[in-house]
Amino acid sequence: MSNINGKVYAMNAITPMKPWKTWIVRVILFLLGLLKSLRQTVIDLSFIEFARWVVLPRGGFPFLGNGQKREDLRYDYLLFFSNFNGTWNQYIDAFSAVLSKGLNLIWNWSEKFPGSVPVTIFKEYIARVQFDTDYYYTAYPHATANDVKSAHIVQSSLDSLSLVAGQCSPEQFADAYLQFVLQVQTHLGETGDAPIAG
Amino acid sequence: MSKLNETDIQGFVLRGYNLPVARYLFLRFEGAARARKLIGRLLSEITTGQRWDGVKPQSTVNIAFTHRGLERLELPDATLLSFPVEFQQGMRHRAEILGDCGVNSPDHWEEIWREDRVDAWIGINGVTGESLEARCAATLSLINETGGATAISSQDAAAVVINGKPTTSEHFGYTDGFGNPDYLGIERSTQPGQGKLMPNRTWAPLATGELLLGYADEAGELPVAPIPHLLASNGTFMVYRKLHQNVATFRAYLDKQSLLYGGGKEKLAAKFIGRWRDGTPLELSPDHPDQAIVQNSNRNTDFTYGADAEGNRCPIGAHIRRVHPRDAFGFNGQLINRRRITRRGLPYGRFVPEGEPVDDTEERGIIFMVLNASLSRQFEFVQQQWVQYGNDARLGNDKDMLLGSHGGTGRFVVQGEARPSNPPFVCSNLPDFVELRGGDYFFLPSITALGMIAMGLVDPR
Amino acid sequence: MPNKNGSVYGLTILSPIIEDKSATPSHDLQIRNYLAHLSTREESPFAQAPGTHLARLVVMDDVIYVGAPACEDHLKSKYLIFESNCDGDLDSYLSGLAENIPDHLDAVWKHCVGYPGAVNRPAFINYMKACQLDTTFFFAAVNDKTVTETLRALQTQNAVADFIATHQGVDAVTLQREFIEFVAHLKAMPPPKPGSMGPHRDIKTGGRNE
Repeated sequence: MSNINGKVYAMNAITPMKPWKTWIVRVILFLLGLLKSLRQTVIDLSFIEFARWVVLPRGGFPFLGNGQKREDLRYDYLLFFSNFNGTWNQYIDAFSAVLSKGLNLIWNWSEKFPGSVPVTIFKEYIARVQFDTDYYYTAYPHATANDVKSAHIVQSSLDSLSLVAGQCSPEQFADAYLQFVLQVQTHLGETGDAPIAG
Repeated sequence: MSKLNETDIQGFVLRGYNLPVARYLFLRFEGAARARKLIGRLLSEITTGQRWDGVKPQSTVNIAFTHRGLERLELPDATLLSFPVEFQQGMRHRAEILGDCGVNSPDHWEEIWREDRVDAWIGINGVTGESLEARCAATLSLINETGGATAISSQDAAAVVINGKPTTSEHFGYTDGFGNPDYLGIERSTQPGQGKLMPNRTWAPLATGELLLGYADEAGELPVAPIPHLLASNGTFMVYRKLHQNVATFRAYLDKQSLLYGGGKEKLAAKFIGRWRDGTPLELSPDHPDQAIVQNSNRNTDFTYGADAEGNRCPIGAHIRRVHPRDAFGFNGQLINRRRITRRGLPYGRFVPEGEPVDDTEERGIIFMVLNASLSRQFEFVQQQWVQYGNDARLGNDKDMLLGSHGGTGRFVVQGEARPSNPPFVCSNLPDFVELRGGDYFFLPSITALGMIAMGLVDPR
Repeated sequence: MPNKNGSVYGLTILSPIIEDKSATPSHDLQIRNYLAHLSTREESPFAQAPGTHLARLVVMDDVIYVGAPACEDHLKSKYLIFESNCDGDLDSYLSGLAENIPDHLDAVWKHCVGYPGAVNRPAFINYMKACQLDTTFFFAAVNDKTVTETLRALQTQNAVADFIATHQGVDAVTLQREFIEFVAHLKAMPPPKPGSMGPHRDIKTGGRNE
């Protein structure tokens, strides 16, 4: 069991919702998907590789027969899966500091959600509704979301320069090369091990 | 906002004394009763935060304890166990988290730090060598009279003297001591650039609870603190790190890299830190030092990085941009306001001017002390994520050029422009410019708490 | 339903685990045990099949009770959650798994209700889809690159940083020549293995997480 692989942390959380509230969450998450401006904070936070919310109505658990008993639940459930870089504390601190309104909008409909501020009580709630990952794989454990974005910028700049590299004079090439270095100069960080989580 | 009781807070917390010489005594307690008696006797000697009204004392005395020291003073178990885990463990046990590895690992530390030997730190500062010696002698005789402790070691430190005057220079030649945050309620003239950035681009003091226990912090909560409240309130946590500086390595590396760097040696030195060696911020004056800025406290810390996202004035990985990113991570600095630390400390060892022979093996460096309400959230976070790692700054695994533990690997990228006097440049194969020689985590209590400890009156609830 | 973001697919599968009182240990524990011994690096099954950026397998024992005044609610089955962030089209992704790592799939999912085995490809795909939940909101920081493209780019980035560092102050003729050689060399390099820690490891700074 580990929630951590290299530079990523896998968080799973499940929270109960009264069924009449579920549609509100669906509308909010639908709008979130529709409007980039609403997602901008998550994009700017830049330490989430992938994340998802899944609304799971009480009748929606997969039922396959074959002796499986049908679920009989009182609540609908909201599942949250995140793949983020950095420590658990850092992640939740950041959310509480800059995204509290957005989180409240999504999680307020869950039972006993205390709000994302103050952060200590929010952390206690998350710790309670979180469940651990048995197996966690990433194709690039040595890289964060930022590292991956940087790498693609370097790759496309390099591809552009290599297209012209053979077809110009050394002096023209030197100029083009300088421009290339300026394009990639903020994207040259090394990849590798993650710091040790406290 | 709470009004602070300056008579209850140790002076060392509220202000940098600006006294040029210091000695730090490291004590081992000898029996809880006698040690408590010693603290009781020291109580009236402790310098508080009360203002000096223009008349500086000749010397100051302050005291702080390791967790081990508090154990040996026989504080109740329920209190001892209520301290944050990282303080209970001590700095040596946090080495992997802090990236104190390779030459910086505890095996290479000075002997007193390699085992749990230090119970208390007494910091004595003086106006002159004589006043320092006198106060040290008085303190030591108190220690001997009570038999409460043995001074197992001491560390001298002093401002670098250039042309007969004490300065704020450190051994690599940089002017130091600009960057301490302002906190609410701590009476001193606030300086633009020193607190937190507000949405209207002005600067405001940080919440008191980022420095002192018992007050609201930037999250609007009281910091995690030991019980009872009275033991914690008006106290703080201190990090003590003895950082050896390899001045010969630094000078040789800078000389060698300058041969390839088109901006010249002094500009390259400035790029490492984010300030010219005279203290001028690169962000305000990218092409030359400017004493008019350095001398003006309304200007010398008043800048942001928002207009320099490419880092071609101040590199993204420059030291001051790493440890105090201001607006560099967006969100008006909200991601950094709970990661600020207050620095204290002085250089130690003989200063060698540029051009004179210098040897790495000579005893020389800086006593780096940090004050903060939460060791893990503030100091350890800054050290781990911003000094020994780079992801928040989008620099991958790159470490701080001067403070990082490199072991001959790693890179430092100087972002630049097309003009030849400010070219992009990459420093690689980085040596260890600084080496950790030891230290620990301390609790620096209030005057009230010291009295409680001295009288054995700490009740967990 | 936003199961896709750009060219990345967000797959969420909940497979009910067989409830059998006579099994020792229980099927959920057998899954946990198998997963605990599986490599998470180059030898990972997900590294041997194409298209997985990040994936997790989680045994969900029950829903979580948050305390009074909320009601206590309990599941009748335990579920295996398979959450994957993968390239492109779901059918070809699932086919790729069935083709490349059937033994691992069978070893895990044989503990789940109604699992037909990976060898019967259409039945396997139908089974997985029967267990699939639609994602309500899916975020991807990078949504237009395949796993292979990302691994390549990370390799390139590392090599480019080295190239720049070692070619400062080099004359234009040499620079151009060596750049062309460098690009050719880079193209000829085999793509990095998925799940690996990258081109070279740092000096000992841990990497162990606790």
